[in-house]
Amino acid sequence: MNFDVIIIGGGITGVSTARDCALRGLKVVLLERDDLTAGATGRNHGLLHSGSRYAVTDTESAAECIRENLILKKIASHCIEDTGGLSITLPEDDPDYQSTFVDSCRAAGIDAQVLDPEEVRRLEPNVNPDLIGAVRVPDASVDPFRLTTATALDATMHGAVILTYHEVLDFIISRGRMVGVKALDRRSGRTVSLHAPITVNAAGIWGARMAEKCGIKIGMYPAKGSLLIFGHRICKMVVNRCRKPSNADILVPGDVVSVLGTTSSKVPLDECDNIRVTASEVDELLLEGVKLSPKIAVSRVLRAYAGVRPLVASDDDPTGRSISRGIVLLDHETRDGMPGFITITGGKLTTHRLMAEQAADLVCAKLHVDSPCRTAELPLPGSEEPAEMPDKKISTRAAATRHGSRISQMDFAQKSEVICQCEHVTRAEIEYAVRCLDVHNLIDLRRRTRIGMGTCQGTFCMSKVAAVLAEALGTPEKAPEFVREYARERWKGIIPVCWGESLREAEYMRKQYGNEI
Amino acid sequence: MKFDTVIIGGGLAGLTAGCILLRAGQKVAAVTKGLSLNEAPRNRFVALGGVYLPGDSVLPGGEWRKNRLLRVYTKNLGKTPLEAENFILSTGKFFSRGLIATMSEIKEPLFNCELDYDTDRGKWCVSEFFERQPFENFGVRTDGQGRVFVNGRVAENLYAAGEILAGEIDIEQSAAQLCRNLI
Repeated sequence: MNFDVIIIGGGITGVSTARDCALRGLKVVLLERDDLTAGATGRNHGLLHSGSRYAVTDTESAAECIRENLILKKIASHCIEDTGGLSITLPEDDPDYQSTFVDSCRAAGIDAQVLDPEEVRRLEPNVNPDLIGAVRVPDASVDPFRLTTATALDATMHGAVILTYHEVLDFIISRGRMVGVKALDRRSGRTVSLHAPITVNAAGIWGARMAEKCGIKIGMYPAKGSLLIFGHRICKMVVNRCRKPSNADILVPGDVVSVLGTTSSKVPLDECDNIRVTASEVDELLLEGVKLSPKIAVSRVLRAYAGVRPLVASDDDPTGRSISRGIVLLDHETRDGMPGFITITGGKLTTHRLMAEQAADLVCAKLHVDSPCRTAELPLPGSEEPAEMPDKKISTRAAATRHGSRISQMDFAQKSEVICQCEHVTRAEIEYAVRCLDVHNLIDLRRRTRIGMGTCQGTFCMSKVAAVLAEALGTPEKAPEFVREYARERWKGIIPVCWGESLREAEYMRKQYGNEI
Repeated sequence: MKFDTVIIGGGLAGLTAGCILLRAGQKVAAVTKGLSLNEAPRNRFVALGGVYLPGDSVLPGGEWRKNRLLRVYTKNLGKTPLEAENFILSTGKFFSRGLIATMSEIKEPLFNCELDYDTDRGKWCVSEFFERQPFENFGVRTDGQGRVFVNGRVAENLYAAGEILAGEIDIEQSAAQLCRNLI
C-alpha cells in the first residue's frame, strides 16, 4: 500500500501529526503497536501547562506553552476544563522566588496575577493554609485520552488510516532511502508492508529503538515520572509550588479525580515497556503532596502509574529536570544521511500541536507540497459547537463532557441504560465508541469513555461492560477474556497503593473476580 | 448480660460457630455491624435461640483480668457489657475492617491481637491479579487451640475463626474446629 507519509506512534504527537498532514491533503497512515495513548500520552498529569512552570528556567518552552495553551482552549474545548492554576509559596520556600516567577511569566506572555493568601484560602479551601504567597496562572486540566481520540477521529475523517495494534518490525530501505516499513498486525498475526516517501518517527521514548533499526542513534534520556490518582477532586484549580520544578509539586483536578505528581528519575531504555511505581516513590509523593494540600493525607489513593518522558539527553543531569522540555525535530537526511526519515520528539502534551506542525512542515517541504497548517484554527470533532443536550440525564451530561457535540451520534433514546455507574457510561456511549473510535477490547474502551476509571475501578461493572462490549463487537465469546485483560491492567495500578481503603477494595475485587474466570 | 460465648463479627465464620455452640446447649450472642450477606446462617442462628445484635459494633479494648477477657462493651448497649466465658473474634479481614492496613503497618483494631504479616508494604501484593495475594494470607496468629495472642501472651478465652486467621483457611471448617475446644 502506498501513502505520502507513514507515522509511527499513536501518542498525541503521532496522532496530531497525522491530523496535520491529513488536513494538508496528504495520504497518511499511522502505526501504533498497542492502542492510542498507551504510552506517555496516557500517563501524565493531564495538565495543560500555562508555561509558568518553565518561565524562570526555560523561557522558550514557557512561551511555546502559553501560545499552545490558548490555541487548545479554542480548538479542543471539550477536552479541556479551564480550571485556572495557582502557584503557591510556602514558608519553607524562598520568598523572593515569587517576584522572579511573576516577572518571568509576564516576559513569556503568561498572565500571572499575584493573589492575597487570605483570598486564596477562601477560593481554594483545601490548599495548604500556611501559604505565604500565591500567583494565579492560566493552567488548565486536559484529558489526554479524549484529546487524542478527537484528534485521531479528525485525522480519520480527513482520510488518514490509523492502524492500532500494528508493530513496526523493520524499515524498508531502497538505494539508501527510507521508502516504507514492515509491520506486524498483532491482532491477526499478519505482516504488512507500507510504502511512503517519508516516515515520521513519533514513538516517544521508544523512538530511540525505532531509529536504531536503521542504525541511527538518538541520545534519549528516559525520565520516569510517577503519579498518584485520588478518588475525588481535592482542589478546584491546578495547584503548583512556586519554586524550581521538583518532585510531587503539582496537583491537577480532572473529571471526578485528582492527580498528584511527579517524581523524576532516569530508567534504562529497555525497562520502559514495563515500568512500575515503587513503594518509596509513593511515600515520597505523599510526603511532598501534603504540602500542596493537607487533604492529600486523608484522601483515598485510587491508583498509581508512571510514564516515561521522551527527553533528549544533553548533559549528565541525573534527574532529567534540567533538560529542556523543548521540541526536538530531527531530519535524518541532513543529520544521518538517511533521506525519507524524520524524528519528532521531546516537547510536552501542551505543545503537541506545535510539534505536529513542525513535523508536518518538514514533511511538506520534503514532498514539495505547499499547503499551510490549519490545526490552530480548525476545532476538533466535538469542539465545533456546544453540545446539544437531548435530555437532562447525568449520563448524557457526562457523555457530553467526554465527546462534546459528538453526542449527537449516540442513541440515548433507545440505549440510555447506565453500564458504568462511577463514570455514568451508557450503552449508547459504548456502542458509539465501538462504531467510531477504533475499540478492540475493554482497555481500549476505557481510554475512550473512562469506563472503570472511577472509584470502583471496575469492580462492580467489569463483567457487565465486558458483556455489552463483546456483544457490540459481535464477538460475545470474548467477554471473559476482556475481563481478564482488564483486571490485570487495573491491578498494576492498584498494587503500589494497596493499603487502607484501597486494600479493602482490592480484597473485594479479588473476591469478585480472583477465582471466577 | 452474661453468655457462654460472645461472638464478635456475625459473618459466616461467627454464625457457623454460633450455631454449633447453640446446638450444644450454650447461651450465645453475636454482635455484628450488619452486612447481611449471610441470610441463611443468620436465620438458623436466631431459630436456634441465639441473641443476634445487628447494626452494633464492639468497642476496642474490653475489660480484662490478667489474660482473661471478662466483658466487652458495644456502641449500642452503652454501659451494659456483654460478659462471657469465651469470646470468638470473627471480624474478617480488610473489607469488613477486621484488619486495618495503614501505609506502614497492619493492626487488628479491637484487641491489638498479634498478626502474621509482612512488614514490607512492597510485598503485600503480587503482580498477577489472578494469583492468591500475600495480603490474603495475613491475619491473627493463634495457638494450638485457636486462641489469639495479645501483648505477647495467649489470651485464655479469646478465640479467632474465619477470615481473620492468618493463612489459607476454610471458613466453616475453621469455625467447626474451634468449637471442639469450646464444648
